Parts: sequence; C-alpha cells; structure tokens
Amino acid sequence: MPVAFTPQPSSYRDPAGFLFHRDGTLYRQVNRSFQPDYDIFLSSGLYDHLRDRHLLISHEEISENLTGRADWYRTLRPEPIPFISYPYEWCFDMLKDAALVTLQAAADAMDKGMMLKDATAYNLQWHQGHLLFLDTLSFERYDERQPWIAYRQFCEQLLAPLALMHYLQWPLSPLFLTYPEGLPLPLVKKMLPLRSRFNLHVYLHLHLHGGLAARENKSEGAPRPFSAKKLRDLLRSLRTAVSSFELDRRSGVWSGYYEEAAQRDDYLEQKLALVDRWSSNIPAVTATDLGANEGRFSELLAAQGKLVVSADFDHYSVNRLYQKIKSDGTANIHPIVLDLAHPSPALGANLEERASFIDRAPKGLVLALALIHHLAIGNNLPFDRIVQLFRALGPSLIVEFIPKSDEKIAAMLQHKKDIYNNYTQEKFLEAFGRSYRIVAQEPVGASGRTLYLMEAHG
Amino acid sequence: MYIFFLYIDPGSGSYLIQAIVAAVLGIAFFFRNIAMTVRHFFYRLFRKKSKMP
Repeated sequence: MPVAFTPQPSSYRDPAGFLFHRDGTLYRQVNRSFQPDYDIFLSSGLYDHLRDRHLLISHEEISENLTGRADWYRTLRPEPIPFISYPYEWCFDMLKDAALVTLQAAADAMDKGMMLKDATAYNLQWHQGHLLFLDTLSFERYDERQPWIAYRQFCEQLLAPLALMHYLQWPLSPLFLTYPEGLPLPLVKKMLPLRSRFNLHVYLHLHLHGGLAARENKSEGAPRPFSAKKLRDLLRSLRTAVSSFELDRRSGVWSGYYEEAAQRDDYLEQKLALVDRWSSNIPAVTATDLGANEGRFSELLAAQGKLVVSADFDHYSVNRLYQKIKSDGTANIHPIVLDLAHPSPALGANLEERASFIDRAPKGLVLALALIHHLAIGNNLPFDRIVQLFRALGPSLIVEFIPKSDEKIAAMLQHKKDIYNNYTQEKFLEAFGRSYRIVAQEPVGASGRTLYLMEAHG
Repeated sequence: MYIFFLYIDPGSGSYLIQAIVAAVLGIAFFFRNIAMTVRHFFYRLFRKKSKMP
C-alpha cells in the first residue's frame, strides 16, 4: 500500500537519499545504495565529531520505513530548524563562516577516512548561534587517488563571491539570485581587479581555474592520480584565501543611527520601554524585525525568549549584527539582508526549491519601527500594499507612524517631488484598520511619532 | 561499484586544474615551511640570547 509522504522539492539531486515530510515532520531517507558510506560515516565517529563541534545538524535515527519504498535503508529525523535563510540573504561574514565550516568539515572528514562530496552554500544554515552543515549524506568514503569532487562547486559558490566582495569592497550576496548554482569562474576572473592576481591562492583557484573553465570543452583525458597530501594542501590554501577576505566598511547606510537617534531627547529609551512592555504581553514565540538596523530591538525581543528574524537592506548593519550575536553567543536571532520593496522570491525547479521570504518568515509578531516612511515615500508603496506585506508576515504588529512634518521625511523630500498627498495619519489608520484592530497607541516622547500595537482581524 | 558523484558533473575543468594547483601548492608550501623553520630557529636563538644576564 502506498504511504503518504511529500518529498521536499529541493531534495532531488543526490541519489544517496532525500528529504520528505510526513505528518508535518521533516525526515531524511538514506537509500540502500548509500549504505556502505552511511555506515562508515557513523562507525568512524565522524557524525559524533561533527555534531559535537557544532558543524553538523543532529538527527535521530528511526527504524521504520516511512516512505514504503524498496530502496529504503534508514530514516533520519533531523533537528527541526524554525527559519531557513539562503545565501542571497546572508551578509559577508555569514558567507565567510559558511566557507570555513565547509573546509573544516572536509578536513575533519579526511581524518576519519571520508570526504565531503558537496560544497554548496545551500547546505549550510544558521541555527542556534552556529552555521551548521545540514546534509548528513554529503560524506562519502575517501579515495586518495581522487581530487576533491566538490572543488569547483566550492570555488563557484563560496570562494568567488567572497573574493569579489573583498576585492571590490561591495556587498554582492544578491548575485546568488542571478547565479543560484554559483558564479561562472570566467566571469569572476574578468570582474576581479589586477591586484588579486598577486595573491597566490586567489590566482590559482579563481584566475587559473577560471581560465581553464572557459575552455571546458577541451577533453581532460583520464583523471590524474591525486594524494591525501595534495588534498590537504588544497584545503589549506582555500582556508588561507577565505580567512584573508574582509568586508566591513564602517560607513553603512545606517551606521551611527542609534547614536543619532539617542540624542533626540529620550526618543530611543521611550521606544524601547514601550516595545518591551507591549511585546512581552504577546504570546507569539517568533518575531520578524523589519528594518532591524543593527538589531537593538531584535535583541530586546530575543531577551524575552522569542526567535527573531532581523531583516534590513543595509548589508553592513546586518554584518555588524551578525558579528555581535556571534560574540555575545545569542542563539535566537537570525540576521538577514532583505529589501522589503523586493523581498526574496521563490526560486528553483518549478519555483518550489527555495520558498519566497514571505512563505518562510515565522508568522508571529511583526515589528516595523521607523520603517513606514521608507516604504511609503522612499519606495512609493501605497499603505494598502504595506498592510498586505505586514499581514502576510504575522497576525500581531507593532508599527511606528512618522508624520510628514518629521525631519527625516523632510530630508527625504528635499530631492524628490512631494506626490504623497495620501501620506497622512488618517489614511494610515484607515488602511491598517481594514486588516487590524488597534490594541494600543502611544506617542513617542515629543518626537511627533506614534507607536501602535495592532492585532489582525479574525 | 557505485559512483555517486557523477551528478555533480566533474568533467569540466576541475580535475585538471586541481592537479596543477596541487603541484604549485606543493612547491609553495614546501618553501614556506622551510622559511617558517628558519624563522623559528632565529626566533628561539634571539629569545635565548635576550634572556641571558
């Protein structure tokens, strides 16, 4: 009798096994054909080692065949991850850590007689304060005569974007949207500046590699024998290159925002106190902080025990938040780079592989502080559209209304024609009132701004 | 024998390049290790001398 299960749409590439959902739980099936590798993965101690070092997601083994398929060998129940983000939403340091974790996992696998067969950035995920490898079936028996099967993938998906960001000093994570399988190396070679050629590791892995990849039609003949020493040199070289890359310009769009905001009487303190009071009474265990900046309010919500997705379109603010939560050991903030006027779309085969940001977002409390004017005036979004976005992200909302008389809006309108006759508090309340009821409202000090706590109708 | 990695499409530049890259790295790391050993030797010598009364 066929068993009801839903295969995970993104899990179709690897014949070793696949992910599927059953009764609302995510499982991974290990196929019979992968049995020898999977058994060594466990018996060599590699699984325990990687899990204990927070390099790999933990799983529970289920003895039951939940798919009913004949090629079943084992069923795994991986630890659930409440929010998934993708490399096009990652800041530089997250991508850099993803590359370093991949290289570490590969080196550790070698020590146990195994090797990593995938090096895609999509196999990693930020979870409880660590960037973890998700794909338990990415480890296969190591054959010393073989070079690294995932080398090109590592260069295209991790090394190349990091090198470009480092040498051009420009946040380029959105390139993942155009090149979901990784950047074409001949293109990377053309984009890199001349001085990058003087770094031996960058020259070898990107320039030389890109040059040869451009002539990929040329037959390579039989594979040349490789060795463990050569592979270790290769991993060491990649690690040296990745470790040397930096992107942390202090002058992001929002840098100094809090310092400046704090000077406006006690605006920031009042807002923090209000948000703290309101949000602690909301039962939601998750929150999405839109326009999170460097995460002051995300930290407040995280301190209440909520899982917070902190989204901002300024790469540098998100990068600083990531560095901060890493050094503080904050486990329940998930920072992402996101432009709310263009949220991440659904992507991949049949548009099912990678869900859109709206589909992935945790549907709890939505925090939209000092944001509405950026969407309504900066991006010309009508209030109705903004309501639609907020409502799709969760039923509870804390939103700040900034009047047109505010100095920030005056600054925005300095170089822009004022076509925003509908930008009034009345129209704002009218539009939001159609989807929400107002639970509480309070002015924030003498700023002229108002904070609203709203709950969706129904 | 099962060859699981075929789905990654290996035949496009990555095998040949790894052979070349590994050869260059072998030489580079060989000389770097010698340089490190020499540097370490002088560092220890210098430290011992500076400790003398």
